Amino acid sequence: MIKGLLKKDLYNLASYKTSLIIVVLFCGIAIIGTDAIYWGSIIIGMIVGMISLSTFSYDDMAKSNRYILTLPVTRKEIVLEKYILAIGATILGSLLGFILTLLIGNIMNYVRPDNVIDINIDTLLATTVGGFFGVSFIQAIQIPSIFKWGAEKGRIQMFIVLLFLVLIGTGVGFLIRESGFTIDIAKLESVLKNFGLAFLIILSLIMYFISYKVSYKIYKNKEE
Amino acid sequence: MNNIEVKDLSKKYVGFSLDKISFNVPSGMVVGLIGENGAGKTTTIKAILNIINSEGTVKIFGKESKTYEKEIKKDLGVVLDDSFLSTYLTPKHINLVMKDFYQTWDEDKYNGLLKQFGLPADKLVKDFSSGMKMKLKIAVAISHNPKLLILDEPTSGLDPVVRSEILDIFRKYIEEDESRSILLSTHITTDLEHISDYIVFIDKGKMVLNVPTLELLEDYGVAKCTKEEFSKINEKDYVSYKKGKYQYEVLINDKNSFKKKYGITSIDKPSIDDIMLFYIKGER
Repeated sequence: MIKGLLKKDLYNLASYKTSLIIVVLFCGIAIIGTDAIYWGSIIIGMIVGMISLSTFSYDDMAKSNRYILTLPVTRKEIVLEKYILAIGATILGSLLGFILTLLIGNIMNYVRPDNVIDINIDTLLATTVGGFFGVSFIQAIQIPSIFKWGAEKGRIQMFIVLLFLVLIGTGVGFLIRESGFTIDIAKLESVLKNFGLAFLIILSLIMYFISYKVSYKIYKNKEE
Repeated sequence: MNNIEVKDLSKKYVGFSLDKISFNVPSGMVVGLIGENGAGKTTTIKAILNIINSEGTVKIFGKESKTYEKEIKKDLGVVLDDSFLSTYLTPKHINLVMKDFYQTWDEDKYNGLLKQFGLPADKLVKDFSSGMKMKLKIAVAISHNPKLLILDEPTSGLDPVVRSEILDIFRKYIEEDESRSILLSTHITTDLEHISDYIVFIDKGKMVLNVPTLELLEDYGVAKCTKEEFSKINEKDYVSYKKGKYQYEVLINDKNSFKKKYGITSIDKPSIDDIMLFYIKGER
């Protein structure tokens, strides 16, 4: 059943595959050819990852959620499918960002031998995983918002939720500083260097899991 | 055996409530759900399908619909007036998607129906006319050979030719297997005179009638009488009346005994529309 839902969403997304390819290539060439090369993987990862959420708009347009609830599929499967799609697209986007940055960067270096940009694989990997975490964070907030308020309203509500989180984060940071709590920066840096990427990936998966639980709770009793 | 059993189905909204609706859809039968726009037909269908939360009990194929939802929906074909899988898919894509939802999906039947309805397999659904969209929805609904069809306004907004074609499809669907049933909601009641076995009439969220269509068409009548004749009629012997400039029009539900009792012979055969209007607009 999830396979059917995935197919439906992928066919929907296929309707703007040409625009997507153009945007990704344009971003690739525009950013990767400059000193801001590492942004390439983040931007491409973000475009491909976030595009998966536009399937919610297609669903809204055809009011397809109502119809889908008449098919032999559970509400849990409907929610799960959206997360499989979002996580899949984010992983694909990050991989694509990583590969394209490396590829286009090297092509540019070959084309412009007088202006060679040094591409450090470790830094590229770190920025790609950082981008993956960023997209996961936005999706983990946005998907429940869309399930609650719909594709259009959900976007606005998502920004409000995001603003709240930033304010809370800033507040907590302020309180930590004010309370005189000291952080061993050197120790933290060493931990991040050794386990940072794995930590970010695990944190992303935890965020997705919590987000899925929240979305299911919202959608379980939602009336279409 | 009943394919659907609805008992005391209720749903409250601000300004509207569905109030204890009860009816059955027996196997081999077509049940027409009628009423004005906003009477509660779609709410009833949504509640039966668990698209909205409701009170009361719904049994489909003898099983409690909320507990056995997924199992039941494997044998269900549904057409909703304003909702479909996606408008950015082609009928070809829909075939590939539906195969994954139904083990019993019959690809040959689906392709045959597309051909029969003259639907292009490679055109996006959003570019279809309303008639084509409805035919596609019906083709999708019956291509896994469901035991039960639930159709919400399947003929609304369609011209008489397409409507007649669609009614033929439903007739054929029932004829193929007598254990099948159809629950069909519509405000175009003339469609039901030819196809339905039972009529369930809902008005302002309340069930007004639940009778065999034949009984409705054969036993009901509109008696035309003078003011004096009307004054002699017992209130129990009529459903409602309309006061005209020169005469009274009285809806009765047993025209033969009415004729015998009051000797009024000017009795017209009403359409389902007429009956509906008398119930909604008539006085008592």
